Amino acid sequence: MSSVQDDRVSRSRYERETTARKEAEQLLEQKSRELFLANQKLSQQSEMLEQTVKQRTAELRLALEKAEAASAMRARFIATMSHEIRTPLGGLLGMIDLILGDETDPAKRELLEYASTSGEALKRIVNDVLDFSKMEAGAFQFENEKVDIRALIGGVLALTGASIPDGDARLRSSISPTVPQFFAGDATRIRQVLANLISNAGRYSSGGTIEVRAFASPHKKGALIRVEVEDHGVGISTEQQKDLFKDFTQVQNKLTAAAQGTGLGLAISRRIIEGAGGHIDVHSEPGVGSVFWFELPVEVVEARSSLQKSGSIGAPAAKAEVDGARILLAEDNKINQKLLLTFLKRMNVTADLAENGRIAVEKFAPGKYDLVLMDVAMPEMDGLEATRIIRDSWPAEKIPPIVVLTAHVLDAIHEDSARVGIDRVLSKPITFGDLRDAISEELGAKHAPDQDAPMQFGARPAVFVHLSEPILQGLIESMSENEVIALVEEFVIDSRRLLEAITSNLRRGEAEAAAAEAHALKGMSGLIGVQGVSELAGQLEQSAPYLDEASIDEVAGSIAQHLDTLDRALNNTPD
Amino acid sequence: MKGVVFVELLSMAEKAFGEDVVDQVIEKADLANGGGYTAVGNYPCEELVKIVDAFSAHSGLSPELLQRKFGHWMMDFFGKHYPEFFTGKSTSFEMLEAVDQEIHVEVLKLYPEAELPRFETERTGERQLEMVYTSPRPLVSFCQGLIEACVENFGETAEIAFEATPDQSNSTTFTIDVTDT
Repeated sequence: MSSVQDDRVSRSRYERETTARKEAEQLLEQKSRELFLANQKLSQQSEMLEQTVKQRTAELRLALEKAEAASAMRARFIATMSHEIRTPLGGLLGMIDLILGDETDPAKRELLEYASTSGEALKRIVNDVLDFSKMEAGAFQFENEKVDIRALIGGVLALTGASIPDGDARLRSSISPTVPQFFAGDATRIRQVLANLISNAGRYSSGGTIEVRAFASPHKKGALIRVEVEDHGVGISTEQQKDLFKDFTQVQNKLTAAAQGTGLGLAISRRIIEGAGGHIDVHSEPGVGSVFWFELPVEVVEARSSLQKSGSIGAPAAKAEVDGARILLAEDNKINQKLLLTFLKRMNVTADLAENGRIAVEKFAPGKYDLVLMDVAMPEMDGLEATRIIRDSWPAEKIPPIVVLTAHVLDAIHEDSARVGIDRVLSKPITFGDLRDAISEELGAKHAPDQDAPMQFGARPAVFVHLSEPILQGLIESMSENEVIALVEEFVIDSRRLLEAITSNLRRGEAEAAAAEAHALKGMSGLIGVQGVSELAGQLEQSAPYLDEASIDEVAGSIAQHLDTLDRALNNTPD
Repeated sequence: MKGVVFVELLSMAEKAFGEDVVDQVIEKADLANGGGYTAVGNYPCEELVKIVDAFSAHSGLSPELLQRKFGHWMMDFFGKHYPEFFTGKSTSFEMLEAVDQEIHVEVLKLYPEAELPRFETERTGERQLEMVYTSPRPLVSFCQGLIEACVENFGETAEIAFEATPDQSNSTTFTIDVTDT
């Protein structure tokens, strides 16, 4: 801007430069101020942003904690409800069955049977709702165990056969030889789906066969199992099929005027099958019938060694593989010991008895036993603790299946059992058939129809009159008459000892000890089927703290009378 | 219009006609704030036209010629002060295409309020570029000067023709035919 020709600068030029400089300075000042303000605003915003992030993080953490607390509470609530509802319901159903066993008046029997059916329906609903709640709460977990679908189908057919009119004659099953003998899956859940489909087939049809079919085809995971349940019932319209697997949906049943159940059965089945990576659906035609089917991709655990004949399976029964098995039985109660040892002997199983958990741990060694039967409540060391010690002491592959026996029907026991590594939980009182099936399934034995359970005929020993009929049937199924008599003899001796302990404890004011002994007496007598003693012992257990001298004498006297009656019958002397 | 254009226009005039002439011409031109401009300021375009007209009247050279000369001057100025805009460009066409797509993008970042002309380009032949200049300002010849200088800058020779873009007011279409590179 300067001319090099002349050092002097004109006045107007100087003024122009001054004006320009002033303007430039003004602009600079203005821009600086704008910059400062912008900076200030920026730092304010960044501070606010930080504040907001902090606040949001805190809110989120709080919300998460709340959600977790709510979820935990819901899970606890479900566990509690499960116990609180199932326990009295189980008691109610058991009592109805016991009364049914003794009742001979046809009119009363009919009413009791209605009560029993309603109770069973209620139990189904409660179970459905609990399962559904668990699924909703995300507390539903799939086990991965060895599944024998043949045994499962057989078992479910045997069970549902009894509840469907003319069931045994109408139920058929055919299982293709292509179906692997064992695959990995959740047997309990698959059984639940099967039971649901088969009982639906029964409820929505009045006649005709109900056929369960199973096939397998190759799949990248191992095999694709397809199970179909076909009925010739009312059928389902295309319109209704759309909502069929949705929650709380039911198809109107012309066969029964009132709707049965919650409408959750198929929704639960769908969740189970889809949860396990499978698919479930139906083909149906109104008035013709329905085919419900599901497909499950599974991992084959062990290839079939030989082809098994397909055909009708009546009831699951296994002897061949159970035969000769070595079993460690941990059980403290004398009567239970006797009963279970007799059961096991009848199965031709070599049983080794441990009187409590500690002895069981001492006796256990890898390779020594094929299976362990473990009672839960035992002195010195309980069954769960013993199982935990065994699991901790030896590598998993060296430990045989551990089956727990318990009188509790609590979920908590199942949860505790699962935690310590128990393979199966059996509820007492346990029948011969249940025990045999459980052992056989755990041993992974093949199931073959049971042909050697001969019924015993002829004059019945006098003492049998005093035992509850269904329980007696179970006893006779598993042991000889003489063995049953020996069991009752032992029971009478043990009961007298217990009764004496109860009365002396009551007189000393040791109500708690007395109640525990009364509980044991109640359990023992229930097992043997001596209902009178069981009920009186139950009363003693309930009211131990409130009994006066006279009442103690009265109740104890009644129990003694029952025992006397048994004694006389055992000695075959008339009353 | 950015003050730098005014400052450079007066610089060119001083170089061409001498300080005394510039002083006289500006005095007569009746400009706002007496013809004092700072490169960082903003001034109305009419002032620029007034200055060009005043020098035209003084020298007898046409305003168009003065604008063209100023275009050459400004291209030289850009080359000296903003060499980064030229790096990576090997032909005048690449440079001309970059005006809208690169240079004005950068200008707008620094001066969001700037009212920039548009330069739409299209290669209509292997050695032909069409450039449509759109602006409400009467600076067609200034553009012509810039284009000429740009071509020279890359050591090329070209024929540059222009005409009012049909059916589009405020627009002029330049057709640049490179004859020698």
